[in-house]
Amino acid sequence: MPPYRRLLTLALSLVIGSAALTACGGGDQPAASAPAGTAGAAGGLIAIITPSHDNPFFKAEADAAKAKAESLGYQTSVASHDDDPNKQSELIDAAISRQAKAIILDNAGADASIGPVRKAAEGGVPVFLIDREINATGIAKAQIVSNNSQGAQLVAQSFTEAMKTKGNYVELVGKESDTNASVRSKGFADVISQYPDMKAVAKESANWDQQEAFTKMETIIQKSRDIQGVIAGNDTMALGAVAALKAAGLLDKVTVVGFDGSPDAIAAIKAGEMHATALQPAALGATSAVEQADQFIKTGKTGKEEKQSIDCELVTADNADEFGVFARK
Amino acid sequence: MTATATTAPPEQAAARARRLSLLNVAFELRAFIALAVLIVIFGVLSDSFLTVPNLITMTKHVAINAVIALGMLLVILKGGIDLSVGSIVGLSGVVAGELLGGLHVGGVIAYPPVWVVIVLCVTVGMAVGGVNGLLVTRFNVAPFIATLGMLYVARGAAMLISDGATYPNLGGNPSLGNTGFGLLGSGRPLGLPTSIWIMIVLAAVVVLLLAKSPFGRWLYATGGNERAADLSGVPIRRVKTLVYVISGACAAVAGLIIASELTSAAPQAGETYELNAIAAVVIGGAALSGGRGTVRGTLVGAFVIGFLADGLVILGVSTFWQILIKGAVIILAVMLDQGQQRFKRRGAAAAAVAASKEHH
Amino acid sequence: MTAPTAGPVLRACEVTKVYGGTHALKGVDFPVTPGRVTALFGENGAGKSTLMKILAGIEQPTTGHVELDGRPVRLQSSRHAADQGIAIIHQELSLCPNLSVQDNLFLAREVRTGFGAVDRKAQRRATQAVLDRLEEHADPDGLVGDLRLGQQQVVEIARALLQEARVLIMDEPTSALTAPEVEVLFRVIRELTAAGVAVVYISHHLDEALDIADDVVVLRDGLLVATARAGEVDIRWIVEQMVGRDQDTLFPDREPVLGEEALTVRDLTVADPAVPDRLAVDGLSLTVRAGEIVGVYGLMGAGRTELLEALAGRLRPVSGRVLLAGTPLDGPGIRERIERGVVLVPEDRQRDGLVQTMSVGQNLSLAALGTFVRGLFVSQPREHAAVARAITDVTVKTSGATAAIGSLSGGNQQKVVIGKALLTGPRVLLLDEPSRGVDVGAKADIFELMAAQARHGLAVLFTTSDAEEALHIPDRLLVLARGALVGEFRRGELTREELMRVSDGGIQAGFPAGHQDGAG
Repeated sequence: MPPYRRLLTLALSLVIGSAALTACGGGDQPAASAPAGTAGAAGGLIAIITPSHDNPFFKAEADAAKAKAESLGYQTSVASHDDDPNKQSELIDAAISRQAKAIILDNAGADASIGPVRKAAEGGVPVFLIDREINATGIAKAQIVSNNSQGAQLVAQSFTEAMKTKGNYVELVGKESDTNASVRSKGFADVISQYPDMKAVAKESANWDQQEAFTKMETIIQKSRDIQGVIAGNDTMALGAVAALKAAGLLDKVTVVGFDGSPDAIAAIKAGEMHATALQPAALGATSAVEQADQFIKTGKTGKEEKQSIDCELVTADNADEFGVFARK
Repeated sequence: MTATATTAPPEQAAARARRLSLLNVAFELRAFIALAVLIVIFGVLSDSFLTVPNLITMTKHVAINAVIALGMLLVILKGGIDLSVGSIVGLSGVVAGELLGGLHVGGVIAYPPVWVVIVLCVTVGMAVGGVNGLLVTRFNVAPFIATLGMLYVARGAAMLISDGATYPNLGGNPSLGNTGFGLLGSGRPLGLPTSIWIMIVLAAVVVLLLAKSPFGRWLYATGGNERAADLSGVPIRRVKTLVYVISGACAAVAGLIIASELTSAAPQAGETYELNAIAAVVIGGAALSGGRGTVRGTLVGAFVIGFLADGLVILGVSTFWQILIKGAVIILAVMLDQGQQRFKRRGAAAAAVAASKEHH
Repeated sequence: MTAPTAGPVLRACEVTKVYGGTHALKGVDFPVTPGRVTALFGENGAGKSTLMKILAGIEQPTTGHVELDGRPVRLQSSRHAADQGIAIIHQELSLCPNLSVQDNLFLAREVRTGFGAVDRKAQRRATQAVLDRLEEHADPDGLVGDLRLGQQQVVEIARALLQEARVLIMDEPTSALTAPEVEVLFRVIRELTAAGVAVVYISHHLDEALDIADDVVVLRDGLLVATARAGEVDIRWIVEQMVGRDQDTLFPDREPVLGEEALTVRDLTVADPAVPDRLAVDGLSLTVRAGEIVGVYGLMGAGRTELLEALAGRLRPVSGRVLLAGTPLDGPGIRERIERGVVLVPEDRQRDGLVQTMSVGQNLSLAALGTFVRGLFVSQPREHAAVARAITDVTVKTSGATAAIGSLSGGNQQKVVIGKALLTGPRVLLLDEPSRGVDVGAKADIFELMAAQARHGLAVLFTTSDAEEALHIPDRLLVLARGALVGEFRRGELTREELMRVSDGGIQAGFPAGHQDGAG
């Protein structure tokens, strides 16, 4: 038995090792990291918990919070709950038992997160929510979210202007079980419904996914090539639609807009493939949350209201150069 | 029922046997019938469904799943399962993205030509498949567990390599001599998209492999009865390892097609694709217990799934219904398959009774 | 009920059973009388076990029906039959080795306490009582897997006894029992019949079955061919009815022409694959010459299958040497051994011999597929020619090479397995129980086939648990007990009774004392 097990371990470590090697230096491990040299007097730990970093938005958010916190002299621990409420609860438990000074949380569900946030508050760790709200007030010290509705209206306004308020358009909706998908879709509708000549020829969910948006867009094109616009619930889907339109030779006749302000979308806007996107200032929300946390740790007050919303910014070819990774440069 | 059968005259028994064998033929063709029904329904409900360009587009969508499913077919014929293919799709795209973005070799950035990128990506897929095969044959890990583990390992590797980010603009740069990657997804040799050609060629290769090569026969034997195959001198370990390697290669090819169509590669690409591939193979009449299944059936299965999805989009049916209908079709297909097996046995018994009555 | 001449409690009426294309039973009428032991005789494949499975509700008849107390009844499952008072002791042990003795005895009929929990105390008491009745000293809480085969068989019997059935079917209950254990069983059977229970008894040991029987019924090729009172017939009559023809035509005389030593085995020791600390083959040596047919006779668990599987390369021996025509055959696996000319026809053709999902032709060519390859692909003409030749050579009755393997009868399926082995062009042919589950006609064909191959210079080594076969087929007979050789005889040197004594004696003499302690 032992040699067998040793072999298995060897094989597995080889597999994992070789994967890590090909990672070209890899990224930061999402485990706790205490940067050397920053163990200043102010000190203490700030736990940063977000959804999976495979989405650049959350990575930007976490990176910004980490950078801000370290510049203020805190140690940080960055982790992902992968949208799993259970894992989120465990990460919060860990933060409490490590006596963190504060938790910066992009939560894993508006209802499922109430309990863990309350647990942290009762455990003496203040929680600062970013990006997503929870369905309760008075537990978290702050809830700083970007204004999805305002952003959707902003981008829809630009969309209708580009289409000269008439024509056939396709809407690609995000994962239909996600609140943001419906909030954005409603924001689009609030603006577009004012223009009777704008006609939705298809409204499909592409689950926030690029490949699925590509496939669905190709199919929709088969149904009718008489399309002047595509409005998508996020940039990933917008880019999928761009690829399909490009392949069908329709791209120069179609206005495509997205949402989020991802670097890929900004690049596409610069290249003239997309018209616009609403940039969610992820970095702004995150740094603001850390600043308020710092304030709270030092004075016991944030000095702000609990619910704060940050407006999205419209990115078009005119101002694309001014933006970096989910933030103004 | 037994009482009537006892007294049934020979001609009645023979008629019963004939009826059962006719039903059996209908069952054999069930996947084709399902596909025909789909085409007729969608053709009636939408003018844009039965047009040549739409059929080509839908076939292009089918091709990705079909390529993965052909690899999956081999694994399932062996009586195994490969859950890692979806992750290999993502990993393959990421490796392509990394390579097209340039390799840092000792301070110099090398840009491998596209064909080298393709070969390396397929090799990565084969390597992951090889690990699957090794785990199954040498370490006796159940295929479900081994490939479930590799599902996570390969996905994790894709995330690590890409650092979670998407690789944009894989079109290449003429000055670097690495253009042409986009042709895989958007090229149309002889009027058909490259991915359809890939599916056709791959299907032809797998047909040859299964029908003509000793490997094919060994595969059917291993899946049908591993002990008997072993005792007949079939190199079952080699056969079992090889199917995972081929399956990994097919998934890698699918990953390349997707990355090429989008000219960008996301590490999350291909999530849950393994389930679509398994569904195609199963709808095509393959037995998950192994030894039974055909290329033809698998292709038809992939077409059923693909046409169903695209047809529902054209009709504008809600996403939630699309998901539900797909599930129902899969279950129905397998129920029909079980029904066929039962009919086959009953048909054989009825034929034997009829034969013996003639002798009396 | 108590009168021995009462009407049958259970009766199979005009029962037919078809598996695939095989008729296992062809319109059998079989009554079971209360208070009497009905012994059912028949060769392997005559349909005995199938008939019993139908009476016990495990299988449904294809046509015909079963009557209980004179009324037609549809026994949907063994559970349903058990509820009607019909219990069966299976030929194959159907115990869960990972559960204790009492758990096995009460499986799916657990005794419950008032709260619905399993009442282990009551179960243990009942288990102890039934084991005492069978004079078995196994621990009610010990694992069944730790018991030796014979003890497991006693547990199987105990389970049937616990059901207090009106009809008790015993399908080969004694195949692994020692002589004293058999006597205990017979005492229990007599107690049961005295209490009015109907017993159906099946055994390979004809004398033993005749000893306990009140009525005798003989099946042949799925037909009921004879019934009699036990006192009025002898073994000779029973064998005649079973075989249905003169034994000389079944077992043809032959004058072997012996060549060089083809297969030499020295001190071969093989561990039991199921019980690793037990030796299935213990320091065995033997030789087979070219042109010779050597038989290995032994009871269940004697190590026959393990011996052949080790020679074929499936099992890795612990020690010992195997020589093929003087050159060592150590190490290589099944594939290499087939290439060098050693091929095995396995005992269980469904499990080890055939691929049910493939056609007759594909099964035949499977082992020799490599020889038909031209370039990358299998040459169809070559393969088809070889398959056609094999179908003729081994006289497979089939509608063609593309027929489903399941459409063949047991005997023809067995011929396909043999044909597959012969297509590899072997020098040594190993056959494990080649006549198991095969009708009389096919049996004669198979023996003739073995003789023909020997005439062509093959060395043939086969195993059997059938005494008649053991006495008449091989040129030389080796008797195996507990993995060791306990006797070697030329044809005609031995009577049936002597063979029984040698093989039984072997069990007791060859049984390692230490193991018995460990198991008890």
